[in-house]
Amino acid sequence: MAPAEQAVRRSLELLHMSVFSQSVSPCGRYLAAGNNYGEIAIFSLSAALSSEAKEESKKPVVSFTAHDGPVYALVSTDRQLLSASDGEIKAWNWAEIVKKGCKEAWSRRPPLRSSLEVPEINSLQLNTKVGQLAGAAGGDCAVRVMDLESGAFTHELRGHRDYVHCLALRDQLHQCLSGGEDGTVRLWDLRTGAQVQVIEVHKYEECSRPQNGKWIRCLATDSDWMVCGGGPALTLWHLRSVTPHHRLPRCRPQQHVLFYQDLLLAGGQGPAVHHLQLSGEVKARIPCTPRAVLSLCLNERSPEHKVLTAAGSSPKIDVFTNLGYRAFSLAFA
Amino acid sequence: MGAVTDDEVIRKRLLIDGDGAGDDRRINLLVKSFIKWCNSGSQEEGYSQYQRMLSTLSQCEFSMGKTLLVYDMNLREMENYEKIYKDIENSIAAAHEKISECKKQILQAKRIRKNRQEYDALAKVIQHHPDRHETLKQLEALGKELQHLSHIKENVEDKLELRRKQFHVLLSTIHELQQTLENDEKLSEAEESQETQMETEAKQ
Repeated sequence: MAPAEQAVRRSLELLHMSVFSQSVSPCGRYLAAGNNYGEIAIFSLSAALSSEAKEESKKPVVSFTAHDGPVYALVSTDRQLLSASDGEIKAWNWAEIVKKGCKEAWSRRPPLRSSLEVPEINSLQLNTKVGQLAGAAGGDCAVRVMDLESGAFTHELRGHRDYVHCLALRDQLHQCLSGGEDGTVRLWDLRTGAQVQVIEVHKYEECSRPQNGKWIRCLATDSDWMVCGGGPALTLWHLRSVTPHHRLPRCRPQQHVLFYQDLLLAGGQGPAVHHLQLSGEVKARIPCTPRAVLSLCLNERSPEHKVLTAAGSSPKIDVFTNLGYRAFSLAFA
Repeated sequence: MGAVTDDEVIRKRLLIDGDGAGDDRRINLLVKSFIKWCNSGSQEEGYSQYQRMLSTLSQCEFSMGKTLLVYDMNLREMENYEKIYKDIENSIAAAHEKISECKKQILQAKRIRKNRQEYDALAKVIQHHPDRHETLKQLEALGKELQHLSHIKENVEDKLELRRKQFHVLLSTIHELQQTLENDEKLSEAEESQETQMETEAKQ
């Protein structure tokens, strides 16, 4: 293809790029981001945050095509980066990636019911204590648990009646929560694989917003409390008594939410990151470049590079050094 | 070597050029006038020239004293600045420490705030439900009423039983009396018919 055509093609790609997932390296100095073309780009946070940062340090250190389909979820273990896409999970060694070697360490496909549909894997969560990986498979409505050491898929948690969008782990109780398109949040026991509880979020008047639908897109949990949002408004729930508490004030459907110190950070369909307090007040609403925020990532592994990065429907990833304002943006190309 | 030292001399001279226009010229003039004075013959001129030279000499000495004082002053200023610099460095280090202390305190305070907010949230939900004491009291009152009413019901039922038994006794006595009366009547009828039979038999 002629270089001019390539350039045009690349700029069109950039226009339509969405970054779906992010993950921080175990040393805390690199950020990996996966987009909808199946590429994973590694950015060096230490270079970008240092005082002599130039334009070049805001571009990826290395960028490679990981999957055929979009990279929906990324998660980091102590030494590897796991990425999930349509029906497969691949692992990459961080040490190799940083030195620009782009070979995958292993790749697994969860066993599927029918070989016609290949369901996408929407979310990955890591349970480091037990060495398990819980991945939510969207298309066939199941949550699959994989053992990291052996690579075998141990449990298949079925119960959702529609796509599963998001996962959260409740470490102390060995449970995981999954939220899906059918509007329910289900709690599963990871040791036995049984469904412990079902919460039908859209049936509670306080949080349901029927005009948006009943899908649950984002979940975050703090072992006692849970925040879930999507179609219904973003609400704080107390898990022991399963009562919804505060409906966090009117905003468009939220796509990703995190617990941080005493705040909730949420991002969704508006071009802003919301800081909310647990009592329900909006503490801040910080504008950012992506038009819709699809992924928020907080780097807690390295105290010098402690930043929040927000990515979404844009080829730029915003970096917030002080949570109050956007410091700069990393660009994907 | 002569050239090198000449260069240095020129450089130094150019450097000190700030004040050199006055002092350097004065020294040159002094030297020239000294030479002239040595070569001159007459007495009064020589004396006035001698006075003039003395005055220029004292002027030179005065300016030298000034520069020495300035030099001293600069040295002491340097020391002062060194001290201030060290003080500032110390306070910077102390401020850094304070900052990290405060950061720790902030974290602690945030944790406390989070706990407080969770507590508030739970408390709100709990408030929705009515007070436990009140419900207990209501339960007690209802229980007492229930007891009272069942007591009354028992009493009423006992009375009813008693009346029923009394009526039963009354009715059965009446029945017996009726039976006895009927029996008596039948007996008396039977006796009368026996008597009339015996009378007819006796007549025949």
